[in-house]
Amino acid sequence: MNELQFQALLPFIVLAAASILVILSIAFGRSHTFIQVAGFGMMCLVVLAMWLVRDALPREIAPLLVVDGLGALFTGLIIFSVLVIGLLSFIYFEEREENPKEYYILLFLATLGSAVLTISRHFISLFIGLELLSVSLYALIAYLRTRNNAVEAGMKYLMLAALSSAFLLFGMALIYLETGSMEFTGIARGLPSSGTPILFIMGMGFLLVAIGFKLALAPFHLWAADVYQGAPSPVTVFIATVSKTGVFAVLLRFAQAVHLQQYPAAMTIVVVISVASMIVGNLLALQQQNIKRLLAYSSIAHFGYLLVAFLPGDAAGAEAGFFYLLAYSITLLSAFGVITLLSTRQEDAGDLSGYRGLFWRDPVMGAVLAVALLSLAGIPLTAGFLGKFLVLGAGIGRQLWVPVIVLVLTSVIGLYFYLRVISTLFEKMPPAPARARPLHPFFYYATYAVLILLMGLSFWLGTFPRPAIREIEALLNIRLL
Amino acid sequence: MSTLFYLSSLVAIVATLMVITRYHPIHALLYLVVSFLAVAMIFLSLGAPFVAVLEVIIYAGAIMVLFIFVVMMLNLDKDTALQEKQWLRPRVWVGPALLTLVLLLEIGVLLVRGDLPALQLAVVTPRQVALSLYGEYLIAVELAGFLLMAGIVGAAHIGKHKKESLHRFLREETDAHEASAGDAREVHTGDGEGIPEKERKTWQL
Repeated sequence: MNELQFQALLPFIVLAAASILVILSIAFGRSHTFIQVAGFGMMCLVVLAMWLVRDALPREIAPLLVVDGLGALFTGLIIFSVLVIGLLSFIYFEEREENPKEYYILLFLATLGSAVLTISRHFISLFIGLELLSVSLYALIAYLRTRNNAVEAGMKYLMLAALSSAFLLFGMALIYLETGSMEFTGIARGLPSSGTPILFIMGMGFLLVAIGFKLALAPFHLWAADVYQGAPSPVTVFIATVSKTGVFAVLLRFAQAVHLQQYPAAMTIVVVISVASMIVGNLLALQQQNIKRLLAYSSIAHFGYLLVAFLPGDAAGAEAGFFYLLAYSITLLSAFGVITLLSTRQEDAGDLSGYRGLFWRDPVMGAVLAVALLSLAGIPLTAGFLGKFLVLGAGIGRQLWVPVIVLVLTSVIGLYFYLRVISTLFEKMPPAPARARPLHPFFYYATYAVLILLMGLSFWLGTFPRPAIREIEALLNIRLL
Repeated sequence: MSTLFYLSSLVAIVATLMVITRYHPIHALLYLVVSFLAVAMIFLSLGAPFVAVLEVIIYAGAIMVLFIFVVMMLNLDKDTALQEKQWLRPRVWVGPALLTLVLLLEIGVLLVRGDLPALQLAVVTPRQVALSLYGEYLIAVELAGFLLMAGIVGAAHIGKHKKESLHRFLREETDAHEASAGDAREVHTGDGEGIPEKERKTWQL
């Protein structure tokens, strides 16, 4: 590895060092607050390192990794989400778990796995990154091990993730059999120039099973609701944003490298998965009374929408896909921030009845949650609307009528249950339970401030997106080819 | 050589099927060891002797032995000792033994007739493995290290016991005290039945 490659990898090395720093702090008996602040500082260092190395991109670290604009963009989104999740975690775990410190090791390791996914250009780094993410998530989901729900959720995720890893490996083996290479570019070279490579399409099918599991897409979505409900709220939002961002990034890179769009068979699979996710997710969410389960089903639908942006396989599609993920992450972070703040020591604030009249009890939290739900529903002026608009634009640009029409129709169904929750927020106030004083005022109000910031960000992206889109475009153009 | 390959593949498939259909963990583990040995044989016939050796040492050796240790150490008392005797009846071990015998015969054939026509494959030597692991795939090795760390930290957290239950005898004692507080006539429950109070105390120490 030469100096320039080392420089390009610097953000990822700092990220890996963060988990080691947390382990050392635990060994030296530092407090939870110290670890929280140190972790925050390390994540800021990662951002700083990314800023420093921006001119060294794109850089290939053969044969495993390539740090280019796409990797930097998705890693940036991952680090941003983790910064917010880390803040949410402090109050949540300080009050619920007797040793909250190991949580941060696992959190940073899972982040590292996700970040490695965004820059991998080889099946080996893809697999190791995915396993790093999954293995950390097993423990994170079951972190509150005295709660039955959490252990059940962890167990379910463990079984299904292990099964999907087996599918992934088998798919990789089939593709290797056809092309004789595990590098994405090598696979593209190894494919026959004419005709349909049967083994490659079969391998692609297996790969899509594994990726569909990770993104909770329709036929592979069965774990989503239970895991979202059982996992601690900060971990739930981690699964919904960080882990899915990483997996989507590697899917995008792989498809770009092998020109997946030229194989109609593979694209048909993706269209079917996308349409099924949109329909299933929205229909299942209709009657949900638990907001965490509702967000789980809505995430199934949202990743169905996201696949519509993946289908064209051009620059507009990638741009729309990233913008959509950005909007979705901001929205979910603020929604789960509210859930975290409202949760009690015994259980997470899942039940919808707990949200009745929230707006009158606590206008700020009510407003943040309402804006988040409006953004998920895709109402104008919010980031979610613009994301959906760009996705539709990318789909229409390539005449993908079936997924586009399904997207529009299912969005209308989606509107119903988002508005149902919002109307609950504004209902007449029941006699409010006396609010206990926050145990950790500093972190409590810091979380509050971040929630307001996220709401503002959502409005900003929804009304004045030009600078953000231009930046995304510029970064996506930094690539090797 | 290809006959040996197909034979050991067959053994691997049969053994793995037996693993997932056994009800008892020990029986499943015995078949799992055989399955690993068969996979090692497959690697050997495909020209990867180093991976074959690792498969035997690490999987069939270290990891399986750990598994069996854990299962055997979990419940230690007279009942389980009796039970363990029952586990090792011939009906149980004759299946894995037969499958292993097939593998042993294969090794024997290889040793006696070393000039078998090889499969059309390049042989990967330990030197090549080392060079690629610590050369171009160095980052993958380091990431695998982080993967292990995630596994260990996660397992340590989930498996951690609360501090108050130091030893299972001590916990039984507190249980017995609670029971005696409820009903004075029935003091002894569970394992300590019929042992005088004083003798039981010394036994606990």
